Amino acid sequence: MAKLISFDIDGTLETGDPPGYITMALVRKARDLGYIIGSCSDRTVSHQQRMWMEHDISVAFTVLKHQLEQVKSEFDAEHYYHIGDTNIDRYYAERSGFAYLYPDPSIDHLWIPS
Amino acid sequence: MATPSNYAWRRDKDGLGVWEHRGKVAVAGLGHSPVDRRWDGVSMDKTLGAYSILACQKAMDEAGVTAAQIDGVICCDSHIAGPSGGSASRWAPRPYFAPPYDSEYGLTLVNAEWLIKTMGLTNVKFAPTKVPTIGEMVGMAAQAVGDGVCTTCLVIYPCGNLEGRYRRGGENADDYARGARQWTVPWGNHGGNDFINTFPHNQYCLKYGGKHDDLAPFVINQQRNGMLTPWGFNATHGIEPITVEDYCSSRFILNPLRLWDCDRPVNASTAYLFTSADRAKDMRQKPVYVLNHSQHNFKQPSTQADLDVIEMWTDRAAKRMYEGAGLGPKDVDIFNPYDGYSVMTQFYLEAFQWHGVKRGDAFAFYADDIRVEGPHPFSSSGGNLGNGRTRSAMYTDSIEQLRGTAGKRQVTVRAETALAAFTTPPNGGWIMFGKHPS
Repeated sequence: MAKLISFDIDGTLETGDPPGYITMALVRKARDLGYIIGSCSDRTVSHQQRMWMEHDISVAFTVLKHQLEQVKSEFDAEHYYHIGDTNIDRYYAERSGFAYLYPDPSIDHLWIPS
Repeated sequence: MATPSNYAWRRDKDGLGVWEHRGKVAVAGLGHSPVDRRWDGVSMDKTLGAYSILACQKAMDEAGVTAAQIDGVICCDSHIAGPSGGSASRWAPRPYFAPPYDSEYGLTLVNAEWLIKTMGLTNVKFAPTKVPTIGEMVGMAAQAVGDGVCTTCLVIYPCGNLEGRYRRGGENADDYARGARQWTVPWGNHGGNDFINTFPHNQYCLKYGGKHDDLAPFVINQQRNGMLTPWGFNATHGIEPITVEDYCSSRFILNPLRLWDCDRPVNASTAYLFTSADRAKDMRQKPVYVLNHSQHNFKQPSTQADLDVIEMWTDRAAKRMYEGAGLGPKDVDIFNPYDGYSVMTQFYLEAFQWHGVKRGDAFAFYADDIRVEGPHPFSSSGGNLGNGRTRSAMYTDSIEQLRGTAGKRQVTVRAETALAAFTTPPNGGWIMFGKHPS
């Protein structure tokens, strides 16, 4: 069964404000490794969709931050990860049954092929 | 030079009558720094100090005033990030830089003394300390010029924000509500929203009907007006318009307060140049006259102000302002109340009865045409919601509307008087501007 990664944007992705640790190259690599990927942010859904389109990355979901639990109900996955830089990310991740991860080198292991 | 703040300048009582300096003081210049979300810790031309100097220089240039002519500097010397800002509000223990950035001043704080020294303002004779926030300091400047305490006065409002977020450190990061905080922030820090805004707002909906999301047209219009403001955060950072669906689906910060109901903390500075009406006539810009200023610091009857108290406070503030200006609701063309949290704005709108809006009418008014092009161009500035938490958009827009220089925000209705504020219901101040001195 696939694993799922939810990316926050601001402070997490390189396109965020502020730019975060996760490059778009890493996002693509996650997709290529078979992860179900998408974004979960306070940015509007239309903004999220446009961002992915501009980077030519096809994602499985784009949701608002407080709607993370919808992702869990829609996708069957072996593990659910949410990567974000604030206590709000942690709050919604834990509330929704996701493992919370901070965007820094400590999560590089996610990109090691299993 | 710094001056102790023992100068009695406030107009904070009921029944003071028409302001004695009505039309004899003017705003002759304004200047905005860029509005950033945070400081990068590296760019010394983007520090709060550098931005404050830039704003002052723009205000002086706009008025055609030299540094030697400045004899008053009123700079808010408190920290918008607050004592619980943690590393977002204090640079130390990180190492300081070469002068003038060899202390917190210029990085997280700016005061008159630092500005006078750094800008070489050698003729300043009035530079008070412990200056209040912009809602009151514009009144302080107007009164000081009117009283002859100074003649050409810079008013500076720095809004420092090192990290993009603030007020999340210190006791606000504590898992416990200790001492008096058990009564004021028992569920954590919400920027005062639970006790200032949210409860009375819920009472408002119950009393007059309507629901929280009826604020959507107002909030969306604030965002739109912000995009029409060239210096503001929205316009300079490509912030996109929001829809009713975006608003109504956004996250609760404090139910029913949503994300879009809250302003965005920024790193920026604003300056205005106040002078006498006589001097302003010879300066570069068309003078915008001060018709009145008033302040209020109402005593809390309990830990929780309810809707009745909020309406009483705002009614009193409106009465003070109208009395001092010698004007009434029908005389006010431009109305820029404070909107740092959208849920408080209806209290001001109804208290001042702008465009005939009475208690309980605000939601229906928001649903009408409040665009700047329309007949009811409410909050044409876009306020804090549309421009970031500079707390100055309300003043700048009022001045520009009366000058006729508001660009895409220029209203199509008459623009001869303007009312602006940064205030909460219990504390703050209002200022009335006029295109003409009387």
